[in-house]
Amino acid sequence: MQSHKKSAGPVVVIALFLAYLLLPLLLTFLYSAFTQWTELLPQGFTLRYYAEAFADTAFLISVLRTVAISILPVLISILAMLLVMYVVVVYHPGWEGVVQVLCTIPYALQGIILAISVLSLYSGLPLPFSNRILMLTGTYCVLVLPYVYRGIRNSLNTIRADRLIEAAELLGAGKLQAYLRVIVPNLRSGITVSALLGMAVLFGDFVVVNIIGGSYYETAQMHLYKILFRSGQLSSAVIVVLFAVTLLISGAVFYQTGKGKRS
Amino acid sequence: MQNKLQRHRYLLALVPFALIVLVFELVPLCTVVLRSFLPEGQFGFTLAHYADIFSKKLYRDAVLNSVLIALFSSIIGIVLAFFGAGAACRAGAGTRRVFMSVLNMTSNFAGIPLAFAYIILLGGSGVLVLLGKQLGVAALAGYNVYSFSGLLLIYVYFQVPVATILLIPSFDALHKEWRESVSLLGGGSVVYWLRVGIPVLLPSLLGTLSILFSNAIAAYATAYALLGGNFSLLPIRISEQFAGDVVQHKEFGSALAVVLMLLMVAAAAINAHILKKNTKEGL
Repeated sequence: MQSHKKSAGPVVVIALFLAYLLLPLLLTFLYSAFTQWTELLPQGFTLRYYAEAFADTAFLISVLRTVAISILPVLISILAMLLVMYVVVVYHPGWEGVVQVLCTIPYALQGIILAISVLSLYSGLPLPFSNRILMLTGTYCVLVLPYVYRGIRNSLNTIRADRLIEAAELLGAGKLQAYLRVIVPNLRSGITVSALLGMAVLFGDFVVVNIIGGSYYETAQMHLYKILFRSGQLSSAVIVVLFAVTLLISGAVFYQTGKGKRS
Repeated sequence: MQNKLQRHRYLLALVPFALIVLVFELVPLCTVVLRSFLPEGQFGFTLAHYADIFSKKLYRDAVLNSVLIALFSSIIGIVLAFFGAGAACRAGAGTRRVFMSVLNMTSNFAGIPLAFAYIILLGGSGVLVLLGKQLGVAALAGYNVYSFSGLLLIYVYFQVPVATILLIPSFDALHKEWRESVSLLGGGSVVYWLRVGIPVLLPSLLGTLSILFSNAIAAYATAYALLGGNFSLLPIRISEQFAGDVVQHKEFGSALAVVLMLLMVAAAAINAHILKKNTKEGL
């Protein structure tokens, strides 16, 4: 009896949590797949709102824009981080503290403050400084730094970088060569995870793109906001599509970290 | 000379990172802080913007609303997460895996999509509102999601998965033997939690609370989608100062942004202080 009580309690609590957490998701999905919802239950199953969403060139272009602006800054940040870590790992381990603080600031401050800081500084200046897409790319690079740093740092913790470099040097490699050929390949899983996390963050961003991008660079989230009050069903179809993409990305993170733990 | 240059050539590897951090993080942030002390459109030094924030009702309300909604949503969120994380630790492996996946999944459901989902749920013709009308539950039938309590409800929703995910590892670290020792000494579940569980968890509870507070106080998209500019919140008032195509109030907006930063720093500092006091008392 005692053990039965013990196992039932947590299951009930978790079931309540699942219901609470999944209800809004489920409703959004149902809303996108039915023509009418004026009674208690939705009526008229249809996929026409999905067809409508995918037939809308403005939406498709906005998705392409989002994909582009979610990938480029992440790549730039990873490249910059790998180069900094070269100096930190090989020459100055003591400098890591500074890198860590610089990479934590964006996480602590979050999008709104970063966005208005960058916009207010550069918007009045001549080109190329006041180019919105450049500003957006730069701010996004900073925004993903915490994730990129964490991912690469965690991977570095699992290897003895100093020993590996010493060994490679004994075999005749230069420091840079040792870093690029021996260390970086060992960081692959950390790089993948941070890239995916960074992409997920940028893919779902609204605050930064709304403030900096404005009407200059309409991403999928901006497009969603524009159509939000025009058609409920179309909006929920768009939400479901965007959320599915986010899930794919975060599912890949889950898979990758799980793989890292197992090996 | 040539040799020395060559020896330090590796420092070139710092250039891209330094460039990104300087151009898009440090310089803009310093400018915001400095600009908040500038009179509008000219050089000088003034505290007038800060005085305005606290003397004009619109902005005082924004600060107050933001603090209240961040505080309430964090506290409610962490209390719920406390039970969720506790359950996750006692559940079987399969249940726990499902729970973790759903937490991970729903922690991604935020911003505009979340606001929209709550409009479907509790808006004018929302599902629960319809249900409330049919069942004659006045509180549901007449619920107004476009309000402080509606916004609070949505904020709690995005706090719960984050808080639970953050708390589960600390619950895992609670030793079963402690609970057994307490019950051997005649203490029940309540005694265990008050005397052992919560004190041990305190550092992670406070740390999580601080993260939740920062998350909520800087959240923008959800409130923007639900209420536009009709509800005074700090992030929304800040963005308004910079968004105008005709008139921008960069100096005043900067002061608002500094206030937001100070609130986040204050939350972290209060946490650190309580934590320090508690560990001292414990020794």
